[in-house]
Amino acid sequence: MSKVEIKHLTKIFGKRPKAALKMVKQNKSKNEIVEKTGSTVGVYDINMSIEEGEIFVIMGLSGSGKSTLIRLLNRLIEPTDGQLFIDGQEITNLTKKQMLSIRRKKMSMVFQNFGLFPHRTLLENTEFGLEIQGVPKAQRRQRAEQALDNAQLLSFKDQYPNQLSGGMQQRVGLARALTNDPDILLMDEAFSALDPLVRGQMQDELLDLQANVQKTIIFITHDLNEALRIGDHIAIMKDGQLQQVGTGEEILTNPANDYVKTFVGDVDRTKVLTADSIMIPALTSNISVDGPTVALRKMSAEEVSGVVAVNRHRQFVGYLSSEATVSARREKLPLADVVVEMPTVKPDTLISDIMPIIYDAQTPVAVIDDDNRLRGVIIRGAVLKALADTEGDSDDNA
Amino acid sequence: MTTHNLINIPKLPLEDWVSGFVSWLTTNLSGFFNAIQQGGQAIMDTITSALMAVPMPLMIIGITALAFAMTTKKYGFPIFAALGLMLIANQGLWSDLMNTVTLVLMASVVSLIIGVPLGILMAKSSKTAAVVQPILDFMQTMPGFVYLIPAVAFFGIGVVPGVFASIIFALPPMVRMTNLGIRQVPVDLVEAADSFGSTTWQKLIKLELPNAKNTILAGANQTIMLALSMVVTASMIGAPGLGRGVLSAVQHADVGSGFVNGLGLVILAIIIDRFAQKFNTKPGQKAPLKPWRRWTIVVALLAIVAGGTVNAMTTSQTTGQKINIGYVEWDSEVASSNVLAESLRQHGYDVTLTPLDNAVLWQSLANNQVDVSVSAWLPNTHKALYQKYKNDVTLLGPNLKGVKTGLVVPDYMSVNSISDLTTQANKTITGIEPGAGEMATAEKTLKAYPNLSGWNLSSSSSGAMVSALAKAYKNKQDIVVTGWSPHWMFGKYHLKYLADPKNTFGSSETINTIVSKKLKSSDPKAYQVLDKFHWTKDDMESVMLEIQNGKSPKQAAADWIKKHKKLVDSWYQ
Repeated sequence: MSKVEIKHLTKIFGKRPKAALKMVKQNKSKNEIVEKTGSTVGVYDINMSIEEGEIFVIMGLSGSGKSTLIRLLNRLIEPTDGQLFIDGQEITNLTKKQMLSIRRKKMSMVFQNFGLFPHRTLLENTEFGLEIQGVPKAQRRQRAEQALDNAQLLSFKDQYPNQLSGGMQQRVGLARALTNDPDILLMDEAFSALDPLVRGQMQDELLDLQANVQKTIIFITHDLNEALRIGDHIAIMKDGQLQQVGTGEEILTNPANDYVKTFVGDVDRTKVLTADSIMIPALTSNISVDGPTVALRKMSAEEVSGVVAVNRHRQFVGYLSSEATVSARREKLPLADVVVEMPTVKPDTLISDIMPIIYDAQTPVAVIDDDNRLRGVIIRGAVLKALADTEGDSDDNA
Repeated sequence: MTTHNLINIPKLPLEDWVSGFVSWLTTNLSGFFNAIQQGGQAIMDTITSALMAVPMPLMIIGITALAFAMTTKKYGFPIFAALGLMLIANQGLWSDLMNTVTLVLMASVVSLIIGVPLGILMAKSSKTAAVVQPILDFMQTMPGFVYLIPAVAFFGIGVVPGVFASIIFALPPMVRMTNLGIRQVPVDLVEAADSFGSTTWQKLIKLELPNAKNTILAGANQTIMLALSMVVTASMIGAPGLGRGVLSAVQHADVGSGFVNGLGLVILAIIIDRFAQKFNTKPGQKAPLKPWRRWTIVVALLAIVAGGTVNAMTTSQTTGQKINIGYVEWDSEVASSNVLAESLRQHGYDVTLTPLDNAVLWQSLANNQVDVSVSAWLPNTHKALYQKYKNDVTLLGPNLKGVKTGLVVPDYMSVNSISDLTTQANKTITGIEPGAGEMATAEKTLKAYPNLSGWNLSSSSSGAMVSALAKAYKNKQDIVVTGWSPHWMFGKYHLKYLADPKNTFGSSETINTIVSKKLKSSDPKAYQVLDKFHWTKDDMESVMLEIQNGKSPKQAAADWIKKHKKLVDSWYQ
């Protein structure tokens, strides 16, 4: 038996749901339905099942109905039609009161903008779910402190949310959701409001957490990379309807329809096969100014083992590896003395010409223009990926 | 008045419907209204006497200490509070201030009790909001004066109707801001609370109200200010306090006294406003009060309470017979009512003087809320009111003879009779309060004389009329006013009555004493005294002139009594 079972779930907003429902069945477009009936189709005829302990990602562009879907799961939005089972129990026909206990015991939610209560301290925020259930104060305090401790935020427990960074606030949001010890964690674009670096960290933390606690996590995102990184299964939605459900691999290799194909392609354009289409911004060190210590600091900050050396006009000089920089610092040499050769290509070089160069190179390949200025670097993975894509659909002219 | 109806619809009897509805309410719910009136009056009296029991210096020091403890880094507010309160006390307005505080406090607290739940209901249900919203608009835009009328019908005169009218006027912002504050709670917070399984009640207490607190407090602040602004209006129906001083100053065109009383209200408003703002902290910036500040607040409050208690226990209450004299703020009646009040006080009575609008005064006599009025001008001036209430009041007869009313002009004008008037003074008769009996007579006069068609009667107040007269007199301009004697203006300016060939103003007028029906049985001794009370036109004019020259009415009355001991004693034999 699946943890969550969804059958023909439909939600139509507005005054004339019946008429709108009829039009959806005739495959009319969203805009047409709004014009005719004044009703909006939130989601239509969703069928899927979610297994215990998996991270199930629901993807789609904004307006695709993914946020509506997740709110239908805990009935913050009442469905127009269809059924929803959790652990085999149908919850679409529960009374308000029974629904409260489902929300208190079985599901917790994490929000895109954190949804923390500004007038409560972190501790008071974290214990909110238990407070609502009437758990005695000492007990709920202890559990909330434990959850905050797991999120490494215990020392901030008496602060208010507005005194914290976004990443910290979202950890509190997650801690608040986990304090209830729910079976199911609903995450509505939980990391979308964070900056990319913190976002990556949070994704890792979520994966670590999942390895420990084995919750069923329903995760909403519009970011394919995020979905591929954390999702066991991925569902792609468009205009309130489900396009495809599968593992990341299945969706990339067997897109069910054109929409999924372009959706997946849109996220990562590698169809234009020149160097500048696959290069990434280079990490540089201006060796006419920087010393070894600064260079090392840059490497550790960006978690790389080497940077591209340039002069003060941003002209390419060579490659600076971390080992060479360390030895330069030890022997008090200027950086210019430890720079090594590095293969270079022009921006309009074709990928097929870059292939042999990149096989032999110990370092990434630098892309430089006619004035010897550095434009970016190419790393091995990007080339391989580009090649894999072109083999799949060489007749694609996107 | 003729109205040109575009469509031929007969005039809807809207006035009759409203009057009918209000009188139906008054008769059918009289028990309920009386209970509110008595309960409210008792509560208000308790609060006022509690506030009055606190010795003035202690109160000023206490409030200054509170201001000092609650504000950080700034000395401005405590110093302002101290100086402002001292100024009010120095001007002899302390008891008025306390009365005003009671009224504002009561109106605000009741508005809070009604307004917050109503605001919550509005926020929770769009249907309720759709119904309540237009009612609030109606309540807020309807002039505050209008509420006085049903207030008097329901609760009579005094502080309770004042509070009632203030509440209706001051309630809307409280409701609106509560509704707004709750609706403005970010939707993801509401979703978060829901997703953890909060009941509606839990959501309200733990999320919505704390987040709406600042908006609700802003609404409360507006409500307090509106209640304050109604204080002046409410004083027309006998609500005591600073408003009475302002109103009386308006009716006498007395700039100085109006300014001083108004200043008292301003000082009170600023102090209340600053204190209210202190409670308005944003979440996450709660700067906890330092211990010494907290102790100062506790000590100041305790001192005020203790001082009040000690004072209340040590001072014995005067337990004289109570008598309530109602009067209209005309100079003549200020003189006579104060003389009567002062003489009664000297004979051990506990006298309340209630200034009212004339029509309200008669109504209050009819329903026993005022014991006596010595200002019934009969048979002509107050004819309409007498006709209306003659079965509900007792007429004791004249207390002053030789009264005259009529149209008055400066003697440099060439007209001598009403029938000579053509286009003088912009065809305007400068009148007094619209409810005054003489105004009804003047209206009749306009209709009676064909040469007055096209003239109009402009209403203002007795004081404003005299000011207009003084201004015209100084510039030798034409002016026609509704005048009456006894009045000090005849001593100050050269004026003349216009002859009244059609006799619309009546020939011989007297000022009469009327008492409530119950006075004879409830206080026969006072009834006897009032029956005997009489004096002359010259007596009255001398008192009026003293007051006009700057004496307080009380002082002028006391001085006159000293000089006329024999006459005064004769009332009490």
